[in-house]
Amino acid sequence: MISFRNLKKTFGTKEVLKGVSFDVHDGEVFFIIGASGVGKSVLIKHLIGLIAPDDGEIWLDGEEISRFDERRMYDVRKKCAMVFQHATLFDSLTCVENVALPLRKHKGLKPKEAAAEAMRRLAQVQMEEFAHRHPPELGDGMRKRVAIARALTMDPRYVLFDEPTTSLDPVSARRVDKLIRELSDTLGVTSIVVSHDLTSIFSIADRIVMLYRGEVRLLGTPDDFRRANDPIIDQFIHGRATGPMET
Amino acid sequence: MSQDAALTSPERPSPSTQRVAALGALAIELARAGRDLYGVFVRTLFYTVRGRYERGAVLRQMYLMGNQSLFFLTVVMGFIGMILVLQGGLQAERIVPDPTLIGSTYLELLIRDLAASIGALMLATRVGAGIAAEIGSMVVTEQVDALRMCAADPIDYLIKPRFIASVVMTTVLIIWSATIATLTGMGTAYLFFEISPNIFFDLRLVDFGDLSVGLVKCLAYGAAIPIVSGYCGLSTYGGSEGVGWATTRAVVNSSLAVIMLNFFISGAAFLLIGA
Repeated sequence: MISFRNLKKTFGTKEVLKGVSFDVHDGEVFFIIGASGVGKSVLIKHLIGLIAPDDGEIWLDGEEISRFDERRMYDVRKKCAMVFQHATLFDSLTCVENVALPLRKHKGLKPKEAAAEAMRRLAQVQMEEFAHRHPPELGDGMRKRVAIARALTMDPRYVLFDEPTTSLDPVSARRVDKLIRELSDTLGVTSIVVSHDLTSIFSIADRIVMLYRGEVRLLGTPDDFRRANDPIIDQFIHGRATGPMET
Repeated sequence: MSQDAALTSPERPSPSTQRVAALGALAIELARAGRDLYGVFVRTLFYTVRGRYERGAVLRQMYLMGNQSLFFLTVVMGFIGMILVLQGGLQAERIVPDPTLIGSTYLELLIRDLAASIGALMLATRVGAGIAAEIGSMVVTEQVDALRMCAADPIDYLIKPRFIASVVMTTVLIIWSATIATLTGMGTAYLFFEISPNIFFDLRLVDFGDLSVGLVKCLAYGAAIPIVSGYCGLSTYGGSEGVGWATTRAVVNSSLAVIMLNFFISGAAFLLIGA
């Protein structure tokens, strides 16, 4: 289980997180939603030590990890993989080399062993035939699937997705949604998804938290959000241009 | 409340307090940057000794730094050699009747200082900008975060190969630059002052101390440029504008590092082995 406890973060004079607290249960597909710039990506980057909190605690499987140094974070990152917003594959490496990189660095596998395992991971996301291509030769959806394969190489218990369907066409976006849902249903992986994509949110989420002005606005199931009697939430989930929501 | 009272009220610090506060903030920021830069240097040395090597990474960087800087340095140092000998010769003619000593003086100056310092300043613009832009772009596109997720320390994976390549290629390029500047200086001396190449190429004034100082400068500059530029790249924030700023800072700070190192190495050499 993951718990955020009163997490605070300020950049310069901008207070991004003002004391955020919530739990993520094992095996669920958990969405973090909110307007752009509200601190959703900042929040999940705290979990893997890419950003250090100013105050508050982060608990992962019963251990408080928010003050871990870089070396101890390596173990956290084996448990919690991340798929970044723009896939962030390394252009100088082929797809199979990209996927093999964490196997070589985290597990210390030899290049041939790492490549064989990477091919197996690419097959899981139906990308094995593009294994020896470089990322710039692929479309956005394909790159995203390779990034998911890379994230899965360490058999993580938790996968963090930062806007996984942004910039994808609807078909590719639904394929990525299906993949996220299957990870949870078949492998028991807990997925934390930062997204604005309303179709994804209401088709695969088990629970949702909405951040607004650096605080939790509502935590609940998709039905709780549909029924919420809150004009801010109503405006967001219906995508209305006008309303009380500050963006 | 009078205007003076308003200016000195507890809510609004006086202009002099604000200036002191701004200076203090700048000092703290500089100290913090110095500490971080030192941290990057120490970790780079650690990984150079203890880290694992990616196949071909250092060679690729050596190719990029060396081959792509070769033409630029050749042209710049060629012209520098001509200008230095021409201006030096014109000034020398006013003072001494015999300008033939210009060759030996020029070669000593070139080997001890000018080849390394001018060459390194050129490399700071060419190589430093490239390193900062590449790493800065990786930071803003989250590739550096992705590296950290793969348990690859960005200093080990990105800065170490550039550091080793730069130390080697800066030395090689500066030796090449000194050769070019010698040849163009020789040609200029022959054309303008009728000094034959045999007389110009007089190494009597060049001793082991000059060679040592020149070599130490090559190694120091070669180490400083990727460390300073890599640090600027890693501390990039914001989008493409941030990458632009990081690149500018890399060029300015690498050049400053070269000039400051030149001062300290020259000073130390003067104290240890004399003029």
